[in-house]
Order: sequence, then structure tokens, then C-alpha cells
Amino acid sequence: MSSANRTTEVVVCLKWVFQADEPSDARFAGMSPADHAALELALQWATHIGGQVTAITVGPAQADAVLREALACGATRAVRIDTANGVSSADVASAIASVARHAAWVWCGDYSIDNGSGSVPGYLAAALQASQALGVLGVTFESGSIVATRRVDGGRREVLDVQAPAVISVEGATARLRRASLTAMRAAASAPIEVVAPSIVMRTSEHIAHTYRPRARALASPTGAEALDRVRSLTAAGTSSAAHEVETLEPADAAARIVQTLREWGYL
Amino acid sequence: MNENVNENVNDCDVIVVGGGPAGSCAAIVAARAGLSVVLLERGPFPGSKNMYGGVVYPRILDELIPNWWEEAPIQRWVTRRSTMLLTDTQALTVDFRTEAWGKAPYNGATAYRPDFDHWLASHAEAAGAQLLTSTTVTGLLRDDKGVVVGVTTDRPDGDLRARVVIACDGVNSFLAKQAGLYTHTDVKHFTLGVKETLALPKEVIDERFGVRGREGVDIEIIGCTGGVNGGGFVYTNLDTVAVGVVLKIAKLAGQALRPEQIIATLKAHPAIAPLIEGGEVKEYSAHVIPEAGLAMMPKMISDGMLVAGDAAALCLAAGIWLEGVNFAMASGMYAGEAAVEAVRAGDVSAQGLRGYQRRLSDTFVLQDHRKLRRAPELVLSDRVQHLYPQMVANVVERMFRIDNPQPKPGLRRILKQERKRAGIRRRDLIRDGLTGFRSYG
Ligand SMILES: Cc1cc2nc3c(=O)[nH]c(=O)nc-3n(C[C@H](O)[C@H](O)[C@H](O)COP(=O)(O)OP(=O)(O)OC[C@H]3O[C@@H](n4cnc5c(N)ncnc54)[C@H](O)[C@@H]3O)c2cc1C
Repeated sequence: MSSANRTTEVVVCLKWVFQADEPSDARFAGMSPADHAALELALQWATHIGGQVTAITVGPAQADAVLREALACGATRAVRIDTANGVSSADVASAIASVARHAAWVWCGDYSIDNGSGSVPGYLAAALQASQALGVLGVTFESGSIVATRRVDGGRREVLDVQAPAVISVEGATARLRRASLTAMRAAASAPIEVVAPSIVMRTSEHIAHTYRPRARALASPTGAEALDRVRSLTAAGTSSAAHEVETLEPADAAARIVQTLREWGYL
Repeated sequence: MNENVNENVNDCDVIVVGGGPAGSCAAIVAARAGLSVVLLERGPFPGSKNMYGGVVYPRILDELIPNWWEEAPIQRWVTRRSTMLLTDTQALTVDFRTEAWGKAPYNGATAYRPDFDHWLASHAEAAGAQLLTSTTVTGLLRDDKGVVVGVTTDRPDGDLRARVVIACDGVNSFLAKQAGLYTHTDVKHFTLGVKETLALPKEVIDERFGVRGREGVDIEIIGCTGGVNGGGFVYTNLDTVAVGVVLKIAKLAGQALRPEQIIATLKAHPAIAPLIEGGEVKEYSAHVIPEAGLAMMPKMISDGMLVAGDAAALCLAAGIWLEGVNFAMASGMYAGEAAVEAVRAGDVSAQGLRGYQRRLSDTFVLQDHRKLRRAPELVLSDRVQHLYPQMVANVVERMFRIDNPQPKPGLRRILKQERKRAGIRRRDLIRDGLTGFRSYG
């Protein structure tokens, strides 16, 4: 990508994933719904600003399938960074960043259906030194900028005015992917895909395939004459609910304090 | 239909509609001959939504895929084949097993269609055919003379032109109908197949069905489909058992029974229940079968178009035989060959494509159908369905019942008594016997 037309460079990041109930069957593998939405919005946005879409995936040769789908839908260039599946999010992001470093607009799905944590877009924004709009529910296209609505805690919404360079990750329901035309599908089947080696040594991710549980804490045997008392003291049932402290600290100190407390409580 | 079709522009030589066994074989043959072939399938991958009872006879692949048995995704090799006559409380089984069917080149095999069809289509792709999935063909493109020159699809910009269209779109082919090749269709000609797939551990299946390793069992059943004419089957996969019934649609519509109730009755039969006890239902599926053979077959050739497989009603459903996949593969293959011949000769008119008819007539595809043309009707007749099983089961029950101090009765006498008791006229019995002998003999 040349930096000359930096403001119109649109990239979409797509991940080839297995379905949860068919964990190793490539027949059922493909994009997550959120990636479908990201692809559609990337295409619409590129049309809006007169740019072109480059689709990037990080994965094995079979992952070409998602790139071909993107080409069939209107992407003009496809790049696969050749790795096995299951690489850590930070490394996926730096690998993508090395290919997309001139991109003005990077679209991603907010998380993939294979236990995705939604962290790649965040890492990517950091690596590209771009602004980020993550977990976006809806977008409005302005001339040269995007108004993005994102979900925040407590059912509230945050409205962002997004300027380039930016990484935007969207939820699956934001847009419905267009149907590829027959001609484009046929052309995409034999279109070239650039395969590049990752720019760094890729580490595999520590895969969390189960819901998070705090590690066990060793406790002294409870005292008490009655079994019920011992159970009560073990479970702290009947006592006041979870411990809480209120402190006023600088952000950095507050973060350190929270981490320390979580450690003490056994959550980390 | 598009009237302004430019006859000179072809997107490819051959369009094959449907990635089932017929379509993939047609595509393999045409692509291997060097033609440009597009294979269109509406599902997300070939076979994804296809169902059947469960036994394929792939010997027809010997030519197309030598040593197919080394790579085909099969579940078990059928080495034991039983035919069962059931009444509500009795079962008469003819049970055959042979080691020969458990060794190359094998005979029948159980296989899942999403595996088998996907595998076959991968050979079409390897041969150079372009497979386009999630694409439904919505109609035929014809020129102003009515010659088929392509298809329309449900995709934007979705028209596709070719010199020959091979319709392999399965039972009730709307392409064959749109081309005017079916002169009449009659609900009498169709049966409804419904099937449950039950999960059981492999060792349990091996033990209950008396098999080991990759050996499998095929049980065909007559009787026990309620008042509805039809038949049943039980097939073993590696760790599932398929139990199903094939029901005459016209009869089914007249009864207050639902197909799943009929399966439930079959599953509860004392001869079947112990085989499948504890099996957890993994899947329930249903599909229409073109049952009437020759009586319902359409014209299979028109200008620029061929019809193969179930789309041409080539499924053989004759009681103890339910074969559709092998007829589909063979007819697809022959359609592919005829298309190649016609494209090379530069004549894709019905006349140029007539090599298809010749191939069908010269091989088992139409010869088996001709020989068994009366079989579907016989097997589904009220007598075979409701009266004979009862009579035969009673005869056997009396033959083997020891009523001492009574002496053993003679077989002739039992036969006569039981025939009368079942209300069967001797004339009908002889006539059905002859029809059966001519068909199966
Ligand atoms: C319950 C049951 C049990 C059976 N048991 C057996 C058995 O044990 N052994 C046996 O050999 N046969 C059996 N059969 C018959 C067998 O399933 C069929 O004969 C066989 O599948 C026919 O193959 P085909 O390729 O002609 O059609 P199909 O297998 O029906 O394939 C048609 C293909 O075309 C696609 N298609 C349809 N319309 C379109 C369209 N408009 N655009 C794009 N694609 C389209 C479909 O998705 C499908 O992939 C059974 C059938 C049933 C219903």
C-alpha cells in the first residue's frame, strides 16, 4: 500500500474459524458473523470514500476460503499471513499491523466465535497507533469520518466521532453481508492471494476453553462445634456480603491496587 | 426466461445443477475430458442437506475412481443382509452373511451423505470442475428456438450460459419440469422416506448385530408400517443406527398417522426394539423418493439439456432393493459422457445428445428398471403389504409349533388353511407369485 492515498486505504481483518459444534471439520468452517458484518461495512465505507478494500487473514492455507469470500463480495486485494491457527492475539495484531501499517481504516469483527476474546482489534489499534472504536453496534458514515455507537456497561451507549487512522470492531448484527455475484464468485476462485510469512515469531495463545474460575484458595479448617457453624464460617454465609474498600488514588496507583487486591482475593 | 440470449457467448461448456452423486459424477467425466464445467449446489457444501437410508453400492465407481474403497468415507461394509417380514407380533427373517463383501472390491457400504457427496464432489473439483456452493438454480435460460442455453441462479448477476445443462437436481426436478420433460406427475409415484439416526456405542452395535470391526448390517423390512403401504429399514453405521420407513404418500395422506408415529411403532416391535434400545436420537430427516421407476420416468434429453439421477426418476425402489445412489452415479456419468461427445461433435441438440439414451439402455440403469418394472407396484400392493406377511408368518409359526400329542400337520394343509384365513384368493396368489418371479427371478 502506498502512503499517498493513505486516507482511503481500507482493511478488513477476517478470521477463519471452526464452528463450536464441529470443532475440526473444515466443511463447516468460515467467518464469524461479526467478521461478515465488518466485511460488509468495510466495503460500504470504501465505496463511500472512493477507496478499496484489502482483506487480511492470519491462518493456515485453508483460511484462504474467507479471503475468497471477501474477494467475491468486492475486496480487491487479499493477504494471508501464513501461520497455524491458535496464535496469541497480540502476535496476530502485530502481524496484521506489519501488513496494514499504511491503512487509514481497519475494520474487524468484535470477537470470533471460537472463544474469541475481542482483543485483537485493541492490540491492533495500539500497534498502528490508531484510534479505536471497539464493540460497535452501529455506524453512520459522514464525509471522511464515522460516527460509531458502542455498547458500554449498564445498557448505556457511547457515541464516538471516529477519525482516521482508526480500528473499528463491530458486532455481528451491525450489517448483513451482501450476496456475492456469480461472476465475482467465479473470478474470486482463481484470484491471486498474497501469502506472506509473519513478521515476527508467532507464539501460541493460552487457550481458555472454559469459563473463568478463580484458582482454589487454601483455608484453615474451620472451627465451631456444629457442622452448620463450620459450613457457615467456610462459606461466610450470613456475614456481610463481599468485602469492599474505598480509596482515592491516582489512576496508575489505583490500577496497581486493584490488581493487588484481586491477587489477595485469589482471582488472579 | 431470458429472450435475448446471445448464442455465441458461453461461460462454460457444461453446467451441472446439483452436487449429489449424479451431479458430481457428471462433472467428473466432463471435466476430465477437458471441458470447462461449473457445478452448482444450493447447500453450503455438497451433501450438506442430503439424506437417504444409508447403503451405497459404489462398484460403478471402479472406472471413475480406481480403488475407491481405499479413500471413500464409508462407515461399515455390509457383510450381513437380512430381509424381514413383520406382523405385529411375529418376525420371519432371511439372514445372509458373507465374508466376501467385507473385502475389496466390496459390495454395499453404509456412509453418511454429507461425507460421501462431499468426497465425490472433491473429485469433480480435482478434475477441474468449478464448484459454486450456496447457489440455487432458479430457472433455465433458453434461446428463441427454445433450446436450453444456460441457467439463472439466485445470485446477483446470476445468469450462466453453457452448451449443455445437466440437471441433477434430485427428485421432483423443477428443471426437468420447466423443460417440459415430465408429461405428467402423479402423487401415486412418490413415497416419503423418513429416518431416525440413533447414537449407540460401537461395541454395543457390534454385539447386538453380531458384527466386528468395519462389518455392517442391512435389514430391509416388509410389514409393520401401520396401515400405510411401504417398508422399513435398519442400517448400522459405526456408532449410530439408522431406522426408517418408506411410505406411500397417497396412503399416508389418507391415514391419521404421522410418519414419526410409524417409526415409533417399528422401533417398538419385539424384533427391532432390542437392537436399538437406549439409542439417543441424533437426527430426524425426511425426503421424497421417486418410487415408480419406468412408469414415471420423464424424457431425459432435450436440446441442450440432459436429466440424470433422481431428477430423471432413476431411483430403483423395488422392495428388497432400495438403490438410488448407484443409479444416480451411473446416469450422471453417462450424461457426462454424452455431453462430451456432443460438445466435441459441435451438436448439442437432442439428436447430438442421444448417446445418453443409448448408454442408459445398454446398461443396468434401464435394464434393471425394465426387469423390475412391475416390482414397485407389487411390493406396495395391499396383498404384499398386509395379507402375505400375516399368512407366511402364521404358516411358519405352525410349522415349527409342536402341538403334541397332535401329529405334525402337512405344509400343504397349513398353507391352504392360512391362505383362506388371511382371505387371499388362490388366483391372486398365483398371479403375484408369477409377477414376483418374473421381476426377481
Ligand atoms: C429415506 C431414503 C432412503 C434411501 N435409501 C437409499 C439407500 O439406502 N441406498 C441408495 O442407493 N439410495 C437410497 N435412497 C435414494 C437416494 O437417496 C437417491 O436416489 C439419490 O440421492 C439420488 O441422487 P441424485 O444425485 O440424483 O440426487 P440428490 O442426492 O437428491 O442430489 C440433488 C442435489 O441437487 C441439489 N439441488 C437441488 N435443487 C437445486 C437447485 N435448484 N440448485 C442447486 N442445487 C440444487 C441438492 O442440494 C442436492 O445436493 C434413499 C432415499 C430416501 C429418501
